[in-house]
Amino acid sequence: MNLSSIIRNQRYEFTSLKEVLAKSNGPKSGDDQAGISAESAVERVAARAVLADTLISEVRNHPVIPYGDDELTRIVEDDLHDGSYQAIQHLTLGGFREWLLETTTTGSDIRSISRGLTPEMVAGVTKLMSNMDLMTVSAKAEVVVRANNTLGLAGRLSSRLQPNHPTDDINGILYSLKEGLCYGCGDAVIGVNPATDTAESTAAILRALNSVTSRNSIPTQNCVLSHVTVQMQALDLDCPMDLMFQSLSGTEKGNKAFGISVSLMDEAADKMKKLGSTKGPNQMYFETGQGSELSSAAHHGADQVTLEARCYGFARRYDPFLVNTVVGFIGPEYLEDGQQITRAGLEDHFMGKLLGLPMGCDACFTYHADMSQNELENLKVLLGVAGCTYLMSMPVGDDIMLNYQSTSYHDVSSVRSLTGKKATPEFDAWLSHMDIWEDGKPGGRYGDPSVIR
Amino acid sequence: MSYTRDMIEGLRIRLGESRPLPPPKVATSIVASPKQIFPKPRVDNGFSEEAAKHTTALVGIGNVGTRYATDVVLQFQAELAVAHEAVAKVLPDDWGKDNGYLSVQSRVENHREFLLRPDLGRRLNESSLDLIKTHTKKNIQIQPILADGLSAVACMGSGLSLLTHFIHGCEAKGLTVGTPIVAKYARVWLSDEIGECVNAKVAVILLGERPGLGTGDGLSAYMVYNPKIGNTDGQRNMISNIHERGMIPEEAAERLVMLAEAMLKQKTSGVDLALEGELGAAAGGGYREPQVREKLVGERS
Repeated sequence: MNLSSIIRNQRYEFTSLKEVLAKSNGPKSGDDQAGISAESAVERVAARAVLADTLISEVRNHPVIPYGDDELTRIVEDDLHDGSYQAIQHLTLGGFREWLLETTTTGSDIRSISRGLTPEMVAGVTKLMSNMDLMTVSAKAEVVVRANNTLGLAGRLSSRLQPNHPTDDINGILYSLKEGLCYGCGDAVIGVNPATDTAESTAAILRALNSVTSRNSIPTQNCVLSHVTVQMQALDLDCPMDLMFQSLSGTEKGNKAFGISVSLMDEAADKMKKLGSTKGPNQMYFETGQGSELSSAAHHGADQVTLEARCYGFARRYDPFLVNTVVGFIGPEYLEDGQQITRAGLEDHFMGKLLGLPMGCDACFTYHADMSQNELENLKVLLGVAGCTYLMSMPVGDDIMLNYQSTSYHDVSSVRSLTGKKATPEFDAWLSHMDIWEDGKPGGRYGDPSVIR
Repeated sequence: MSYTRDMIEGLRIRLGESRPLPPPKVATSIVASPKQIFPKPRVDNGFSEEAAKHTTALVGIGNVGTRYATDVVLQFQAELAVAHEAVAKVLPDDWGKDNGYLSVQSRVENHREFLLRPDLGRRLNESSLDLIKTHTKKNIQIQPILADGLSAVACMGSGLSLLTHFIHGCEAKGLTVGTPIVAKYARVWLSDEIGECVNAKVAVILLGERPGLGTGDGLSAYMVYNPKIGNTDGQRNMISNIHERGMIPEEAAERLVMLAEAMLKQKTSGVDLALEGELGAAAGGGYREPQVREKLVGERS
């Protein structure tokens, strides 16, 4: 494998594909913190020149963590679909980029090779693409899944309704929930991050959410985002759990810090299959975000984009209903400013879609990151145009429990209006029936929470 | 006939077009202005008042088209500005000294580096390490530290009151308290190195929380038994949301003293610390009154 390139007559040498991947990455404060980013703008391009000429088959043979050292590398390698892989293994990453961008390459073409891709291949091609490249491919990579409704169809933009409360006050949660529903939000999931991580409180919140969605016949999914082991206990309490949630990391060691492993997740997904209350086949919900591996010293010297792709390699094992990257949540030590957060949001969405996931994005910042509210609004529009499956939504985008700034109920409607997109077919019909949203614009009861019983 | 039409006509003839130019469209008349534009009446069905009894989330705020009303935008922007101002504020170098405390600094040298390099904020710079070695009480039970963390505003706000209440509380219980230290550009784990250096049984660091919308003045307190470099978060106990509108410093100090005594008695902290009865409540469990969202723009009602 060639690991050198020449720019302006100067030769740049690299020692491994892992180093090339890291140095090709767009600027990220997390890679700087790990001491693995390119030392200059020109070295970054030199690394990309190496990457562009690297064969997909070579990438397969050089995962950033060896097969013997990491169970995620093993499941990716063992489950790789040979037919799909054979169709692309002769391409260089540069050639693969061009194939993806060709107008003649359709969403179903992309879907057909998806199971032949490893996360490292996807991360590699990402580093060769500009933001608009990423959006162009993402927009055609359709991934459709089904639970109680159908998510990911073309021309649709869904949202998670996130009615969090700092003390899990059920009434407080329900006030935020009703407000969100009357703005047309919540078709991807109604998901609460609990303050108290116990089975009883998980079950209590699920029952409360379910009382509202059943009373009002709302075609959606409910979820409480406690730790997966807590949700497994909650299932034994006979509560209506439509989706099972867990945060994922891109390395075995990182997942250990999250208190999970492949075998635990296998067991959880199995239990959900038996006891979950969802109608469709897709029942799992995962969240990820660049930088989590470094934060638990589990990054193995790999860059945060490649590690993020590895989270998706793990996620696809469970055919999830939802995956989203909580892109700006982790803080400026991993993504410093608006430019880095915007880039990471588009990268993650693209990588997830390429690996066959119904990818959403929590476009967000913490208050100590250098991103303005206007930049955050820009990112939401970019994601909407790029075909992002769903955004988050909460009152004025302010999560009063997790203390960060995300997407508001109003933002979801605005992006739908600007891009001409609608909620899932089932939910859209409900909105129309309730006179909340009709013909691509607010209906008579829009913004009126008393419409929800 | 307009000049532009003449030019186009001429061009068409030169290019061999024999058909005459179609007649110009009649310009539509300028739309008359309405006499007066009426603002949309705000619907008030009591939803927001009812909701405010249970949550600080801004709900029942209505809409203009798919966007916010102007007063909502201003309230939101004011809250965002408060948070950003709290993050941007830097603890003055001599603030600790001016208040009569020993002042130290982490290995961080400026504000941007503080945000980007948590690893440097967890270790003392050389001169600070020397200062602590030469100017502090050693072999003590409790080492109190007040620090900026992610909000110097909080540190300079409720910080002093929390620190003094805590120290007095410890002394009232007969505990030996080390020389109080004020630390700049400090992360939580800095308390490990300081505590280890003075050979404290328990290190307590009180520091500014990451600001939320409209709230830049919250403090958190982290405590660890047997402080030493390399301790993990699982070995710590913490109390958050300490400020005048949340848990007031007096009450927080009382709870911290209780936790410190329990750590000394059980010789452990964090997940291994048994939190029964009163102690469980002190560690943060139990009911909390919902906070009130402050109106920031205009006169307070």
